[in-house]
Amino acid sequence: MENSPLPSHNFQDREGSWNPKVVAFCCNWCAYAGADLAGMTRRQCSTNVRIVRVMCSGRVSPGMILRALISGADGVMVLGCHPGDCHYRGGNFHAQNRVTMVKELLALAGIEPSRVLLRWVSASEGDLFVQTVNDFVANLHRLGPLGGSDGSAV
Amino acid sequence: MDLLSKLEQNGARKCVACGRCTFACPASQIGGEFSPRGLVERMILEDKIPPEKEIWLCMTCKQCTQICQFGVSFHELVREVRPTLLTSLPPEENHGGIPRVLERLSAVRKIRPSRQRWITSGIDIDQSSDTLFYVGCTPYFDVIFRYLRQDLLEMPRSAIRLLNACGIAPRVLMHERCCGHDSYWLGDVETFQRLAFLNVEALERSGVREILTFCPECMITWKQLYPKMVGKLSFDVRSVTEVVAKAIEEGILRLERNEEVYTFQDPCRLGRHSGVYEPPRQLIRSIGRLVEMPRSREMAACCGNSSFVNCNAMTRQWQLQRGKEALASGADRLLTACPKCLIHLTCGLAEGWVSMERRSIRIDDLYVIAASRLSKKA
Ligand code: SF4
Ligand code: SF4
Ligand code: SF4
Repeated sequence: MENSPLPSHNFQDREGSWNPKVVAFCCNWCAYAGADLAGMTRRQCSTNVRIVRVMCSGRVSPGMILRALISGADGVMVLGCHPGDCHYRGGNFHAQNRVTMVKELLALAGIEPSRVLLRWVSASEGDLFVQTVNDFVANLHRLGPLGGSDGSAV
Repeated sequence: MDLLSKLEQNGARKCVACGRCTFACPASQIGGEFSPRGLVERMILEDKIPPEKEIWLCMTCKQCTQICQFGVSFHELVREVRPTLLTSLPPEENHGGIPRVLERLSAVRKIRPSRQRWITSGIDIDQSSDTLFYVGCTPYFDVIFRYLRQDLLEMPRSAIRLLNACGIAPRVLMHERCCGHDSYWLGDVETFQRLAFLNVEALERSGVREILTFCPECMITWKQLYPKMVGKLSFDVRSVTEVVAKAIEEGILRLERNEEVYTFQDPCRLGRHSGVYEPPRQLIRSIGRLVEMPRSREMAACCGNSSFVNCNAMTRQWQLQRGKEALASGADRLLTACPKCLIHLTCGLAEGWVSMERRSIRIDDLYVIAASRLSKKA
């Protein structure tokens, strides 16, 4: 994924009925199971989110988050296990460092750092998953599309 | 433009296949299949752009063009064929492609970067000045490469301190975008065009008459690449080394000398691409003793990477070689005047090398060291 060609700036389809697009990287052991639980218990969840299952939140590199943003996502979530619960012991701490770095870069680049979110969601927290997604999407509605609301890239 | 006219325009059809370029080319020397001579030959004989990943190994360091006796501009030719390969055979991006994504984000008009947090107290900025200090990507690098060096932001700060000591308080842009240098050399024409127009537009009616840069890549972008894209610009572009060296010559600026011995890594964009060899040396001589490495000035060896693509184990070997060369020169410190040279060399020489040689050489930035020698009372 890291070396695939970048699609060209795709900020065009954002006029009129814009709806935020969210990429959520969910770790296999906690957050993804949490999302699963939310589905099985028929919680109502915003449909804006595209889930990418990763084995560990520590798998998510800053480059992946930034690529998601430039490829058309308005926000990116990284959801992993609670501290101490990581299946691989410390992957979620790596995730924390990386998200901090991405937020710092976004602030410099003139993009709201709140477009990237890191949260700990365990396998039993279906409700928390839904709440986190819905709040995040609501925030994106407030911020508007990434790259300008008039739909023009330049 | 078809391949034939690209070859024609860059003088490639005058190639006599002597092989000097391949002999001098870092990408060829560090191993692998890459050969400028071979590529020119194949392009001429086969009349097509060879679909080879090796094209991304070229660091556009201009060594081949410099050494060619027949006027072949191979680094330009490489750049011109890259757009056709960018999507079908993309380069391997290092660091997860972060630098490139940031460059592309800054090419979006509605996104307005706000990177001026590097400006700390103790440096004089004057927003009504007609001299602009263009900072470039270093604020990003400070975040990405903090694990390598904690002093990257000291580069622009020191450059400004030196300018202040010369009596110049420059202006800075509050929403400065990337210059687009890497997009240009990687063949991402679209991003480069956008950045060229956005950047020139931002300065057009600002009253700026001169741009000063400490990063050689920003310098060639403003000085050589933008005029190609948007026509003649109404301001001069100079490297901070040129300004400071002139002030030293005129006796306006005095730096404290000591016994330290330095050697200098000519950044390819400052040296071969711009012909600025003497000013950084004047600066070094004013703070200590300068010894040259065998490969210096026009023949300076590349720092091993360009545009953060295709960095590999062979790059390391190249950097190690350069490190040994610096060590053998007898210098205490290897100085450079480019944020990327500093990052790549620091990275390349960080591990492995101490254990192999049991000795090491410090690598630092010229501006930072020079600014530390500003007399306190001046
Ligand atoms: S140095 Fe010039 S003439 Fe010789 S092989 Fe290279 S491009 Fe051809
Ligand atoms: S520009 Fe440098 S790396 Fe590229 S072919 Fe020429 S000598 Fe080799
Ligand atoms: S030398 Fe180090 S910093 Fe430079 S591209 Fe290679 S890995 Fe990155």
